[in-house]
Amino acid sequence: MSKVRSVGEEVWKHKTDKINSELLTLTYGSIVAQLVADFDHDYAKVNKQLDKMGYNIGLRLIEELLAKTGLPRCQNFRDTAEAVAKVGFKMFMNITPTISNWSVDSKQFSLVFTENPLAEFVELPDKPNARDLWYSNIYAGVIRGALEMVQLQVEAEFVSDAVQDPSLPTEIRVRLVKVLEDEIPPGED
Amino acid sequence: MIYSFWMYDRHCECIYSRDWHRSAAHEDKEDLQKLIYGSVFSLRNITRKLSDDDAFLSFQTSKYKLHFFESPSNLKLVLITDPMMSDACNALRQIYAGLYVEYVVKNPLSPIEHPRGTGVDNDLFNMGLDSFVRSLQGFA
Amino acid sequence: MADRTPIVHSSTVPGGVTQLRSASSQASLVESARKGAIYERSLQRKRGEVSESVMALVICEAVQYLQKQAKGIADLEDRLNRLGYHMGQRVLELITLREGKSAKRETKVLGILQFIHTMVWRTLFGRPADALERSTEDTNQYMIIDNDPLITRFISVPKDMAQLNCAAFAAGIIEAVLDASLFTAKVTAHTMGTPQTPDKTVYLVQFESLR
Repeated sequence: MSKVRSVGEEVWKHKTDKINSELLTLTYGSIVAQLVADFDHDYAKVNKQLDKMGYNIGLRLIEELLAKTGLPRCQNFRDTAEAVAKVGFKMFMNITPTISNWSVDSKQFSLVFTENPLAEFVELPDKPNARDLWYSNIYAGVIRGALEMVQLQVEAEFVSDAVQDPSLPTEIRVRLVKVLEDEIPPGED
Repeated sequence: MIYSFWMYDRHCECIYSRDWHRSAAHEDKEDLQKLIYGSVFSLRNITRKLSDDDAFLSFQTSKYKLHFFESPSNLKLVLITDPMMSDACNALRQIYAGLYVEYVVKNPLSPIEHPRGTGVDNDLFNMGLDSFVRSLQGFA
Repeated sequence: MADRTPIVHSSTVPGGVTQLRSASSQASLVESARKGAIYERSLQRKRGEVSESVMALVICEAVQYLQKQAKGIADLEDRLNRLGYHMGQRVLELITLREGKSAKRETKVLGILQFIHTMVWRTLFGRPADALERSTEDTNQYMIIDNDPLITRFISVPKDMAQLNCAAFAAGIIEAVLDASLFTAKVTAHTMGTPQTPDKTVYLVQFESLR
């Protein structure tokens, strides 16, 4: 699937308006800090809010991806994984996570990140439960929202994050729940 | 001659429509809007049944021609013209990628889900669509 | 923004997750820099780029979130200001760490204002601000001028909140840098569009008293 990779690179190079990544890194950091303060260190709630924000963002980013690449609907979930990693993350974040750990039924895979612009120079708070925070959880929401628009209902969640423990990879697990049916106009069924 | 343009989202809602020339037949816009959706939905399903990877581009009668484009995110764009008009599928794709995505999707304040049936209400999109459609060959 | 209370911000900085922790003195910075390999790895890394769309959407989600919490426009501006303040602290630390041994605390007003105008702006927005001026009427008053502020371009203002001034965010950034350098000042943002530069914004820096 090197074609997919070159699509992502082409769009990043020639069709993407870019900004300094530190502006995003620092803005995102301030938002997470604000949420942590607002939810009084209830990290489950912070994770959920980040996921929700990501979902809204994903609904829009997928349209930009489709418009700029002209890619057709993916034929199977393996192609979807390729498109997420090599086109989506490439054209928006200029990174390409590795796809790994496919389940036998090809319905689950992991995205493994060696770099993550959102979490550059981040250090988690010293609170004992700080490990419950998935700092970059907005990604999970983006993946969920974007794939829903192409009729794939998925669950996406962090399983480990180098921000929490530098000895672990940053890994998001994506699981296909079902392929969504076309909606039917009311009164037609 | 170009009569009208219609856009439907993945929830089967008509989120935008616009007339340029009146096509005598239909006064009841809501009725027409549903009929258009019903026909493109069926036609597109038939085409998919016949061949996995196919999409229908247009159909025509002696008086009308209906042009169709659907994005992978199930946004459906329809242009209704006279039968002389050459296929406008590509123009519809341009409306999707160059106008809808640029002005509506990339403007965070423009909703892209319309649960209360408000539809697309965006000045840049309105103006862009109008001048683009007017520039198409066979508009008048 | 005019009737904002003077700045005693240390209590308003949200706790919890910090980037580089909120150490503002040189000594503790050096210490935190020593803390882990994560700093060396990421700070030395050449700065990268990301898509502008992502930035715009992230900011928009943040504004919508803040809007739900806010009790009106002044309150929303205040929240945006605090978000910027938090960011200002981080960017200062980032620049200081990057510069390493050559970094020195600015003790002169003009020095710190030039630092904001040039270094802070370049780090965040990719270019220096357009001008730095001193008021002719009030010698304790300075202006940092940005003819086309990147950040306000990302924040679309809903029609029903037309008077919201998004530059409060950048004002917060400036305030944080001044605070950390032990200057007490009140920063307000004013949109002063001209036909050529419709989004021109003047950040008015009002010092309490100058040393």
